[in-house]
Amino acid sequence: MSKNKVTQGLLLTLVLMLVLAGCGGGKNNNATNAANGGNTPATDATANEQKVTINMMHLWPAGVSAQQNKLVNQIIDQYQTDHPNVTIKEEVLDNEQYKNKLKVLSASNELPDVGITWAAGFMEPYVKGGLFAPIDDIKDGTLLKDKFVAGTTEAYAIDGKTYALPIELNISPIYYNKAIFEKYNLQAPTTYTEFKEVVKTLSENGIAPIALGNKDRWTGSLWYMYLADRIAGNDTLKNAIAGSGSFDDPGLVQAATEIETLVDMNGFNKGFNGLSNDEGKAEFMNEKAGMYLMGTWELPNFTTNPDIPQEFKDKVGFFKFPTVENGKGNIDSWVGGPGVGLFVAESSKVKEEAKAFVEYFVSKWGEDSVTTAGVIPATKVDTTKTELPQLYVDLLNELSKASSITLFADVQMKPSAAQVHLDMIQALFGKAVTPEQFATKHKEAIEKGN
Amino acid sequence: MEKVMSNKLVIALYVLPSLLLIMGIIYMPIVLTGYYGLNEWNGIGEMTFIGLENYKHLIQDSTFWSSAFHSFELALFSGISLIGYLLIALVLSGKIKGANLLRKIYLVPMLLSSVAIAQLWMKIYHPTNGVLNSLLMSLGVDNPPAWLAEPSIVLLALFVPIIWQYAGFYILIYYAALKNIPESLMEAARIDGANPWQIATRIKLPLMSEVIKVTIVLSVVGSLKYFDLIYVMTDGGPNGASEVMASYMYHKAFRSFDFGYGSAIGFFLLLVCLVATYLIRKATASKETIQYS
Amino acid sequence: MKVATAPGYNSGRVNERKILQGTGYTLMYLGLILVALVQIFPLVWLLIFSLKNNQEIFNMAPFSIPAHPHWENYVNVWTNGNIAQYFVNSVLITAIALALTVLLASFVTYAVTRMRWKGRSFVLGLFMVGLMIPVHSTLIPLFSLFLKLHLTDSPISIILSYVAFNLPTTIMILLGFYYALPKEVEEAAIIDGCSVNTMFFRIILPMTSSVLATTAIINMIYNWNEFIFVNTFISSDKYKTLTVGVQNFIGQYTTDWGAIGATLMISILPILIVFLLLSDRIVEGIAAGSVKG
Repeated sequence: MSKNKVTQGLLLTLVLMLVLAGCGGGKNNNATNAANGGNTPATDATANEQKVTINMMHLWPAGVSAQQNKLVNQIIDQYQTDHPNVTIKEEVLDNEQYKNKLKVLSASNELPDVGITWAAGFMEPYVKGGLFAPIDDIKDGTLLKDKFVAGTTEAYAIDGKTYALPIELNISPIYYNKAIFEKYNLQAPTTYTEFKEVVKTLSENGIAPIALGNKDRWTGSLWYMYLADRIAGNDTLKNAIAGSGSFDDPGLVQAATEIETLVDMNGFNKGFNGLSNDEGKAEFMNEKAGMYLMGTWELPNFTTNPDIPQEFKDKVGFFKFPTVENGKGNIDSWVGGPGVGLFVAESSKVKEEAKAFVEYFVSKWGEDSVTTAGVIPATKVDTTKTELPQLYVDLLNELSKASSITLFADVQMKPSAAQVHLDMIQALFGKAVTPEQFATKHKEAIEKGN
Repeated sequence: MEKVMSNKLVIALYVLPSLLLIMGIIYMPIVLTGYYGLNEWNGIGEMTFIGLENYKHLIQDSTFWSSAFHSFELALFSGISLIGYLLIALVLSGKIKGANLLRKIYLVPMLLSSVAIAQLWMKIYHPTNGVLNSLLMSLGVDNPPAWLAEPSIVLLALFVPIIWQYAGFYILIYYAALKNIPESLMEAARIDGANPWQIATRIKLPLMSEVIKVTIVLSVVGSLKYFDLIYVMTDGGPNGASEVMASYMYHKAFRSFDFGYGSAIGFFLLLVCLVATYLIRKATASKETIQYS
Repeated sequence: MKVATAPGYNSGRVNERKILQGTGYTLMYLGLILVALVQIFPLVWLLIFSLKNNQEIFNMAPFSIPAHPHWENYVNVWTNGNIAQYFVNSVLITAIALALTVLLASFVTYAVTRMRWKGRSFVLGLFMVGLMIPVHSTLIPLFSLFLKLHLTDSPISIILSYVAFNLPTTIMILLGFYYALPKEVEEAAIIDGCSVNTMFFRIILPMTSSVLATTAIINMIYNWNEFIFVNTFISSDKYKTLTVGVQNFIGQYTTDWGAIGATLMISILPILIVFLLLSDRIVEGIAAGSVKG
């Protein structure tokens, strides 16, 4: 009896020890790497330098067909070849998981050496918490000086210092299905009255005028932002978001009223408030909806993506958000802005190496991203040198003559205000709040944040 | 007997490892959540101690109360659906042909991850080409609802997949409990002329009473802190119509960077679960534990 | 619903009652088969889903089979990313965590329900509270705990979390069954001179094998499909599990849904097989468990 007891106890202990031993192995390696990295503040690459590992967390997994991911890996491979002492260790997460993990890591001050961030309001808590390193030196360094499109790095600057470098620049046109428009004798509208006519005609003919997946809420925000910009003018919207103005502005309230009007006209596909952006987009890709307002990151789907039939791609055109009669807006004013940027962690043990890598990454990305990945970089693109689909050329031209680019509201605002904005957008589209309530809630949220 | 069964060393050996583990991994976070809840903290850098401010805010937060109400509704629905699971388990555990195969098939959906289940039901509920609305339209319904976009029905539309998702879990437990009842008891009852209904209500159910109590607690607590499908399918929308306590906590802590407030919600949720469990145990307490004889 | 004797078709006597019973049976079977069809559909749907590209997923009806099935989704999944590595990790982590949970939970449940000591209901209460904390409240505290223990980016952190978070549910399920175990067995064993350990391993564990199979299935499904802890605590690709494979196809702006379907399909197969095997154990459990002292 007692012999049995001992045997069982031993067996259990053995199993536990095996488990612990088996799993412990990998951790030590990391510790060694980190320690090595910490001891060697290297600046340039020479062959006999000590090994350095830069941890990079990003959201471009290798599995998705978009060439974006290939480009990331190309850049990393090239950098590792050029700097044999440097290893870039990647960790890839999807958007939601990425943001969650960033938050958990921040609470313990354990950010990766290099990572992705969004601009303005999103990054503010991280900057205020001292987690991101200022990287003005590489912004003005040899590889990147004067390379950025004017106004793009500002979105990543807080109190005069730049904390991340943008790698994308997007504007949001309204894409439309030329075949559908032709069928109903419609022209791409330039004024809001014409636009409403288009909506009315399509709706009467059983076509969803606008594809929208508003479960994600920032999608509906684009519509509100444009209407606000066109009616109340660019400055009014910017000031209201910044807190120096107010969402009470009659123009901004009118913009909210116009959203209600569009909803009443059946302007959007059925059930939009319960559909994700992917599902909303599908309405446009299926030719069940006539128009789709979205950032230029969708361009590959309308030009180069081999999974989409050429027949459909040929039907896609775009127009600028129409001007509203008597409105203060300008047709060349866009909603968009730099998308994600790269930061370097303040706590990084290999800060200098990480900065050098970010500098290289951003400049290399700028050279290749349009041609290989269809992503418009925040650095200047020489359109004459490269062969691009017409849609790209047209939109790059629009970008260059843009009078202003208003950053997406949910990125611009601080996180808590941004959440109120997004919730209110969904409520406005769902007609659960009046335009006045919409304004009041915004005002409260912005005031609370400041 | 008495002596053997109260051997302190054995008890310690059996209980302590698990207790230490949950102390470290579950209680430490619970205590810290309670502490964070007393602070204003965005999750980064310094905290400011603000005492019960977050809870004062919580009591006045109508969004929180509506999300709490949604959680209670879910708990109620899950509780009621246990009856259905129990009936299915009773049928499957009977001596019917193919019960073994049927049981396996019935439990297959529980193997699917939430990601897959959410995708499936989003396809079912799609307002224009979804399975459900295609069916309704072919039956002549002109304008079937957009299930996940109507604030008045979205919650019910979400309860269906949630209850379906957990069906396998409870059927499995009930089934095992039914199979655990010695056949001799039922045989004796049959000889005494009991019909299947009597056997079920007078023998099977009383013998399962502990298991049933446990499942009530599991389903109520599980519902009160439910998160998965709601997060993927509606993200609490539209206009907060499907927000539940756990999703509201997540939105505050992880989206709005209000980690202090989020923690207060999390801690409050824990207290609600605690009270609910206490009440359930109290309501279902029996004077004696029924045993097989 | 359940009838004691075999269906009446092999009996020569045809009376009214038999006919009624027969119709009842037919109806019940129809109902059962209908439900079975509904339950098997998700798997069929997932298979079809995994053979489509994005265009077809959003364009076609959920159950229509594409003209050119995209088998390359599977190739894509298999060649992109470390799916083989993820697979091994998933199996190891799931199995180790499962074994530990079921064993530890059995220890605890046994000590709490069968042994006599002060504070056992308090300890049981402690475990039950473990059910009640929302998972997102635990992430930041747990991460900093594992950081201090140098366990971040180590599978141990995952295994410990799985065991701790599954212990309460597992104990709860076992509880209902342990309460119903006949005391006589233990009494007899002790009179025979058995130690508690021997009794536990030789008598109690075999007697509860059907519920052990049940909890094993439930633990397996939870561990296999879990991803929040993996994402939060693990950063090296070599330790990640299959659920992370899904993320490999969610890009910044585009998501390859077909490939996600293929990943889900690949990841469901192993647990489907284990489930089918374990699920038979639930029935066999009674045979093995009917040990009489």
